[in-house]
Amino acid sequence: MKVTVKSWTGVATWRWVANDDNCGICRMPFDSCCPDCKLPGDDCPLVWGACSHCFHIHCIVKWLHSQPQQQCPMCRQDWKFNNK
Amino acid sequence: MSHKKGDLKVYWNKITYAFPILNDNIFSDCTNAEYDEVQHIIVGLGVQIKIRDLVLIHIEKHLRQHVAPKFWSKFIKVNEDVRGFQLFKSAVNDLYEAVSSFSSMMCRLTILNNSCNDNKPIYGEKDVVLGFKQLVRATLLSQLPLDFQVIINHFYKISFNVFDNEYENSDMSEDIMCSGCGNEYADCNCAYIVKVFHETNRKLMDLQLLERLTGQVLTNFIQLRIESHIQKLCTGTFDVSHVGFLENWLDTTVMSWLTRIYCGGSSKPPPDDKNIQNAISKFKQKLRYFLYHSYTKLRIDQLFNIIIEYPDSQPAVDDIKFCLDKTDLRSTLCKKLQNALETRLLHSGVNTPDILTAYISTIRALRHLDPSGVILETVTKPVRNYLRNREDTVRSVVSSLTEEGAGSELAEELAKYTGEPEGDADNDEAWDEWNPDPVDADPKVDPKDRRTSDIISMLVNVYGSKELFVNEYRTLLADRLLAQSVINTEKEIRYLELLKLRFGEAQLHFCEVMLKDISDSKRINSLIHQDSSIEELNKEFVSNAMILSAQFWPPFKDENLELPDEIKRHLEAYTKSYEALKGNRTLSWKPHLGNVNIEIEIGEKKLDLTVSPFNATLIMHFQNKPQWSIEELHQVMKVPVTVLRRKITYWQTMGLIMEKGSDYFVLADETENKANVSANQVQEMICEDEETESVMASAHDQREGELQVFWSYIVGMLTNLDSLPLDRIHQMLKMFASQVPGTECSLQELRQFLDTKVRTHQLVLQGGLYKLPKTIGLR
Ligand SMILES: [Zn+2]
Ligand SMILES: [Zn+2]
Ligand SMILES: [Zn+2]
Repeated sequence: MKVTVKSWTGVATWRWVANDDNCGICRMPFDSCCPDCKLPGDDCPLVWGACSHCFHIHCIVKWLHSQPQQQCPMCRQDWKFNNK
Repeated sequence: MSHKKGDLKVYWNKITYAFPILNDNIFSDCTNAEYDEVQHIIVGLGVQIKIRDLVLIHIEKHLRQHVAPKFWSKFIKVNEDVRGFQLFKSAVNDLYEAVSSFSSMMCRLTILNNSCNDNKPIYGEKDVVLGFKQLVRATLLSQLPLDFQVIINHFYKISFNVFDNEYENSDMSEDIMCSGCGNEYADCNCAYIVKVFHETNRKLMDLQLLERLTGQVLTNFIQLRIESHIQKLCTGTFDVSHVGFLENWLDTTVMSWLTRIYCGGSSKPPPDDKNIQNAISKFKQKLRYFLYHSYTKLRIDQLFNIIIEYPDSQPAVDDIKFCLDKTDLRSTLCKKLQNALETRLLHSGVNTPDILTAYISTIRALRHLDPSGVILETVTKPVRNYLRNREDTVRSVVSSLTEEGAGSELAEELAKYTGEPEGDADNDEAWDEWNPDPVDADPKVDPKDRRTSDIISMLVNVYGSKELFVNEYRTLLADRLLAQSVINTEKEIRYLELLKLRFGEAQLHFCEVMLKDISDSKRINSLIHQDSSIEELNKEFVSNAMILSAQFWPPFKDENLELPDEIKRHLEAYTKSYEALKGNRTLSWKPHLGNVNIEIEIGEKKLDLTVSPFNATLIMHFQNKPQWSIEELHQVMKVPVTVLRRKITYWQTMGLIMEKGSDYFVLADETENKANVSANQVQEMICEDEETESVMASAHDQREGELQVFWSYIVGMLTNLDSLPLDRIHQMLKMFASQVPGTECSLQELRQFLDTKVRTHQLVLQGGLYKLPKTIGLR
């Protein structure tokens, strides 16, 4: 008997590689989306700060707009986008 | 004035000549002139009162000893209608003659009575003749025998047949027998029967015995005829309305027959006789009510079948609707239908889709029958309770909602729905059609809900929550998306739009993401296939992925499966390529999910199969090594032994693997298996493989997981207290549960949970008490 695999369709779940599960601002899981979005992933991506904290991009942008100083809400260091 | 003894004797002879009854005779030739003399003598002797009373005593005695016994002697139990007919006729004739033979004596007695001047009533009457008739009736009825109705029944039955025939049969061409009297046409007896019938009725009327003697028999008889007429008319078919026919039949055949009975053969009551007119119209009213009543009762008995055939059976439903207003059978209907639903539908032998179909028919038919919705609400309560407790109800509703093509009523219902509440606009115009709620309506329910809620809402409301229903839909969609290698996403999206109209955007948002995952996966697959390292690997075989957003899919059942190394290599490469494509994101594989296209060569035969990753892995291991013990398979595949045993049967039924010793499997010999594997068989196997179970944890499973928290409490309780009834366990749990945050458990849920424990033999249910099985003890 000879078995030949012609195609293999597997099932996987995707997730963000981040050092936490939930967004520190909206408290939603990173793998879900921010409260303003409907679709996760490409449509509601994560961003990292120089401090290595990360958030939903929409959450941190909203946060920075509402604050006089541009600080990370977690560690209060100046916020810089880390384009790694 | 003195009299000689000889004179007295002469006088007595003359008196007995005028009143022969004093010698127990009736006939006398006494003329009026002769009686004048006798009357003179009586008055002369001053014995009017004495003689009168004596005559009355003798009459009474005669009636009691001769007339009544003779009359009743004919009332015997006979079987043949014709004999009964004759007996009754002759009994009435004889009686009539016997009474008539008193007539000349009555004239004389009237004169005698008038001379008495004492105003004493004669048997309650002023008039002698009336008093006599009263005496005749009283005497007869005092001797009423037990079975007197038998021959009366025969009599009316025969005559009714003749009438019924007269009104109904216009085409008697082919019969040789007259269906009126049952004789051949040459000897047709109908005319004679009609004549005797009228004569007899007239005589009874004259004696004022008609009502007393035959009233009950007639009523019973006609009611029987009505019932049998209805039975004959209404067996089996529900697509014709019968009320009109029945009313017509009652008015023509039955009523004209009755009129003729009361009017001695005439078809119309005498215009001046209010008594007869009243009697007839009262009778008619009674019979009409009886007709509606019997007809409705019959239809109520058939209601379950009528409902199943709805809307073809709408004429029958219309009939019931019409008759319910005229009878008091509303609560009977509810009770009987509820019973029928319970016995015909609500047991384990009936599968859920059938129950749903019947429930939908019931909703439609009863809506039509009772627009207020009250009957529907009352009657279907047990159905709803029952459906709520069936595990696969939501699944059945959802799958019939999504079924394609004709026959799926729910799918049609869903497509009809436009999102706006129906008929709101013309509500104002319909104000004059408003009816108050029936008295049996539940005051707690908003009548508007009762009238307007549509079929799908009624089904969904079985659960009391949209959420549970939508959840189940999500699970079903997940299964479908993962099981099908080719997915018609467009169709699913179209369908999802319909559901969103019905259940709201928010509820179905998750499903939208799931569908998007599937179409995104296709795009990602084709991008990744362009990756050069993947291109190289894909020369061996093509690897694809369905990449899911875990937060939006229902939880998966946890299952382990160690894939063959070559497959793992492929999937790892795929992951790398994905990570490169989507920065900062990675994949976690669910190795047991997905589908595999394999080709198996045995001898000259090639099989092209699509199987689960488990089945592919298993057969690949057998390719490398033809003999495996279950323990060895467990080592390489990391699948529990019980699961292995169950799933290996797939290849066994395919004839590729055989169990040589216990838990020891070998690849079937190439020459042996040729006969076993046929292409058709393979097709079937695949279907079974794909469809048997959901990969999702069902809502039920999820809840059961939560309830598992209670299990140790319950075991503890039963260990200490031996056995407990459900509600007691529930009470005690409520106490404990306050220590376990976030757990709330209804009695219903607890029952279900305990029942699953009974099914898996972890509990025993005996006489309503739960206890631990002896062998398990504390576990
Ligand atoms: Zn966020
Ligand atoms: Zn967002
Ligand atoms: Zn920070």
